[in-house]
Amino acid sequence: MRLNDRVFGLILLILAVVYGYEATKFPEPFGGQESVGPETFPILLSFLLGIGAIYMMVKPDPNAKWPALSMLIELAIVCVVLMGFAWAIEPVGFIPSAAVAVGFLSWRMGASLSKAAITGVATSVFIFVIFNKVLELALPAGILGF
Amino acid sequence: METISLLLDGFSVALTPESLMFALIGSILGTLIGALPGLGPANGVAILIPLAFSLGLSATSSLILLTSVYAGAMYGGRISSILLNIPGDEPAMMTCLDGYPMAVKGKAAEALATSAIASFIGSFIATIGLVILAPILARFALSFGPAEYFALFALAFATLGGITGKNQFKTLIAAALGLMIATVGIDISSGVQRFTYDNLHLFEGVDFLIAIVGLFAISELFFFLEAHAGDGLKQVAINKLKLTFKDFLFVLPASLRGAVLGFVAGVLPGAGASLGSFISYTLEKRISDKGTFGTGDPRGVAAPEAGNNGAASGALVPMLTLGVPGSGTTAVLLAMLISLNVNPGPMLFQQNADLVWGVIAALFVGNLVLLLLNIPMVGIFVKLLSIPPKYLMPIVTLIASVGIYSITGSAVDLYFMVGFGVLGYVLRKVEIPLVPVILGMLLGPEMEKNLRHSLVLSDGDWGILFSSGLSIGLWIVAAAGLILPIIVGPMLRARMKRNAPTAD
Repeated sequence: MRLNDRVFGLILLILAVVYGYEATKFPEPFGGQESVGPETFPILLSFLLGIGAIYMMVKPDPNAKWPALSMLIELAIVCVVLMGFAWAIEPVGFIPSAAVAVGFLSWRMGASLSKAAITGVATSVFIFVIFNKVLELALPAGILGF
Repeated sequence: METISLLLDGFSVALTPESLMFALIGSILGTLIGALPGLGPANGVAILIPLAFSLGLSATSSLILLTSVYAGAMYGGRISSILLNIPGDEPAMMTCLDGYPMAVKGKAAEALATSAIASFIGSFIATIGLVILAPILARFALSFGPAEYFALFALAFATLGGITGKNQFKTLIAAALGLMIATVGIDISSGVQRFTYDNLHLFEGVDFLIAIVGLFAISELFFFLEAHAGDGLKQVAINKLKLTFKDFLFVLPASLRGAVLGFVAGVLPGAGASLGSFISYTLEKRISDKGTFGTGDPRGVAAPEAGNNGAASGALVPMLTLGVPGSGTTAVLLAMLISLNVNPGPMLFQQNADLVWGVIAALFVGNLVLLLLNIPMVGIFVKLLSIPPKYLMPIVTLIASVGIYSITGSAVDLYFMVGFGVLGYVLRKVEIPLVPVILGMLLGPEMEKNLRHSLVLSDGDWGILFSSGLSIGLWIVAAAGLILPIIVGPMLRARMKRNAPTAD
């Protein structure tokens, strides 16, 4: 089974075609059409990617091992946590959101709950203090506004 | 002679207390980053760029800080090679061959010290090479027109996979992806919006710093999670150092040979540090092996380490003079220069002479600091290495995020970072290399500018790209860079594999 490369090659081929098509739809620049416009280079690139993608489908490499579904779900949860951190950093504040994110990551990587919590809280407080007091870069204080 | 006086000016920049402090901090951070398995020099520099940026350091200070990190990471990479038998990055692979057996035999401290000395010799000689070669190349590069530059960029991509590259078409795909990301945003010369879909955040394009941190650091986090590698690995204990002057003389010839070979490999397009350390080791084995290589011969540690570090400094030659990096880490250094509004290329040596020479002098100083730092302090670094990744990786991720957040103070940048992390994870799973993506993003605008420039000059005739002898020569090398690995690659890889340690 060399499905990986075939599927990914197909995705890339679609990307190349869409990208190239979009490039031909650019509005004409102010001052009229020249021999080279904003679309020339992108069209060249879409051909380049297209060639690579077709080769990938025709001569795929052996599959890399994909993780089990449970692991993929876990990675997706990690992404959500990181996104949540990004979302929460302003309304909630740096320390609580970073503490939760770091604690969660550390717990998922195998630390015990209590140690993960300590790591999260200690790191976020430490980094907050270093950045806001020593390096004078303002990280949002949020609900802990002091 | 002009070079020497410029270099002395450089030293006057690099030896101010402030610069020395940055060199020291950079060296320590770099060693740490290089020592952490899986993090590697490219990652380390990438994570620190946004920080240096948002701290408002001057261009010279940030450059000194980050070149020291770069040099330090090369030093640190060997710690995990020797103590864990796990190379921190690909070039460090050859150091495992004799370094780990030495450590097993209870000579870990000697192996580390030997590699520190060899690294120093490698960097030192290669930096001298850089001083001599760079101005010459820069002067030569002044004769490049836009068509030659376009060919040169193509050459950079074609040779990036290196002579040992596996699948050239995947390098091609990666480069195309990076270049495509670079076209997002408002087109500079016509003002047309490209691929922005009226999204305000895309008007200025995608910041390559966000992409670098996402692709490298965040995808690394995913790999750590997947591998359940949170507990770290068992390492060999470290003994008390007993290194005599005789030991030093014993490894000196190997280090010198390795340094020169490494430098040459670093300068040449497509060879890079992996080949530098590989050639140095094989040559040394051929010259001095009496059956001791592979069982813990100090010369087998010295040669590849000198080669590796020689190549690292050698790779700075094309990066500084032509603006074309030859490896992942130099690509990240290029990112740093561009984000500091310094455009590498032949003009750099004329317009920013003080800065370039300051950096080169900083390399000398940084390497000396590293040598002095590494021999007495290696024990501390080893202790820090034993912090398990389950605590370290989340902290590194947080620091990386803080750096990204502090560039513009916008949470949207963090979403992009996570997005690039996922992209990096998927690309690595299908074995598409990440470095050409980064390089595409970095070189994209310049490459397009030169293409359009030359086509405007020729009134739309594409023949101009192949009209001068120089550009034809560059295209030929580029073509060779794409085709040769398909023929030579399998042979070389087989040899490297036969030499490589069997993973246990």
